[in-house]
Amino acid sequence: MKITKKVQAGTLQSSDLMVFLEPAETLSVTIESTVLKQFGELIRAKVEEVLAKHGVEAGEVRIIDRGALDYAIEARLETAILRATEG
Amino acid sequence: MVTSLLTTDDLRQAQALVAESGLQFEPPYDDLVGVFESGQLVAVGARQGRVLKMLAVAPAHQGGSLLGEVVTDLVGRGYQEGVDSFFIFTSPALAPSFEAFNFNLLVSSGKTALLEYGDGLRRYLARYQRQVLPGDNGAVVANCNPFTLGHRYLIERAALSVDHLYVFVVREERSLFPFPARLRMVQEGTCDLPNVTVLDTSWYAVSSITFPTYFLKEGDPGGAIQMELDLLLFGTRIAPHFHIKTRFVGREPFCRTTAQYNAAMHSILPPLGIEVQEIERKSAIGAAISASRVRDLLVRGDLDGIAELVPVSTLDFLLSSEGIKIWTKGGVT
Repeated sequence: MKITKKVQAGTLQSSDLMVFLEPAETLSVTIESTVLKQFGELIRAKVEEVLAKHGVEAGEVRIIDRGALDYAIEARLETAILRATEG
Repeated sequence: MVTSLLTTDDLRQAQALVAESGLQFEPPYDDLVGVFESGQLVAVGARQGRVLKMLAVAPAHQGGSLLGEVVTDLVGRGYQEGVDSFFIFTSPALAPSFEAFNFNLLVSSGKTALLEYGDGLRRYLARYQRQVLPGDNGAVVANCNPFTLGHRYLIERAALSVDHLYVFVVREERSLFPFPARLRMVQEGTCDLPNVTVLDTSWYAVSSITFPTYFLKEGDPGGAIQMELDLLLFGTRIAPHFHIKTRFVGREPFCRTTAQYNAAMHSILPPLGIEVQEIERKSAIGAAISASRVRDLLVRGDLDGIAELVPVSTLDFLLSSEGIKIWTKGGVT
């Protein structure tokens, strides 16, 4: 799926995350997290998995996380992707 | 649930809550939102451009999730409007409660702390990682609206006395010439100087965030505080990254705000290990060259006069169709 507009999903509450997506020529993922040292790799793997599942090959993905569990990451990112690609 | 505050009664409650929390109710804003509980406003917050302000939660409701809900909403709305970085001014004592929301403290001085949502500053510095060179380097921060022989003289002189000189062009779009045009004029006007690198300031130096009064051109005490934040941010975060040991500045004979800024530089930067060197302005036809003088001549259409004040590269730009479009819209219409 192609990201056609700038969108945001999620909140900055504890155990949640903010996802920012915008159109770009290439795919780039930046992750900021309060638990980056412990779980950075797992968060990245999850983000990449969800992007691959939806066939997102280009776009700027920015994640600002406050210790969200992986299903929250998946739900927020999926919401953002659907918003960014609808209509 | 967070809602927009639109009605007269909403506004009255917002003003009361903001005032109770010891803050100023300061229009203008792009968004004003809040949370109601049984008809009573219990949390409020506003966004003006990139700055979140007037954030307050009623005492009986503090410690919960309300502040986070308000900030989330403001960030979400701002992002929809095309704003991609957000800043908060608060007291240093309250900085940790925003740090918990992934705001990062940029700089703190006396009564004011400046925080940024996300790590924009780190990403900004990382973007220029390849331009970081060892040695005793120097910096010039300038708007270059437009780039004149005065800027050229300052940069040439500065470049002689350091290993490498960084020229930071003010990113903020509050000037006659748009940023890409100013950046290009500086790049073209300095491309023959081998030890000069031209960068942009992003939001971190002389921006409407760090130094709003620069763009208002007034000399009020509020401005002094914000100048201090601008210089502290430069001295503690930007300069060390680029090994900057000297900041060069043109002596300011005209503008009071800039003269105050220069004075603040002398008191704030040396304790941080950065020497400040003021360089005498270059003169032409009896007066110091300044960009405002060039703009005055543009308005009058005195192109011969301008040719004495700007390098050939700038003159070429001013006379290009793109350049003419910029300066005629300000004067003629």
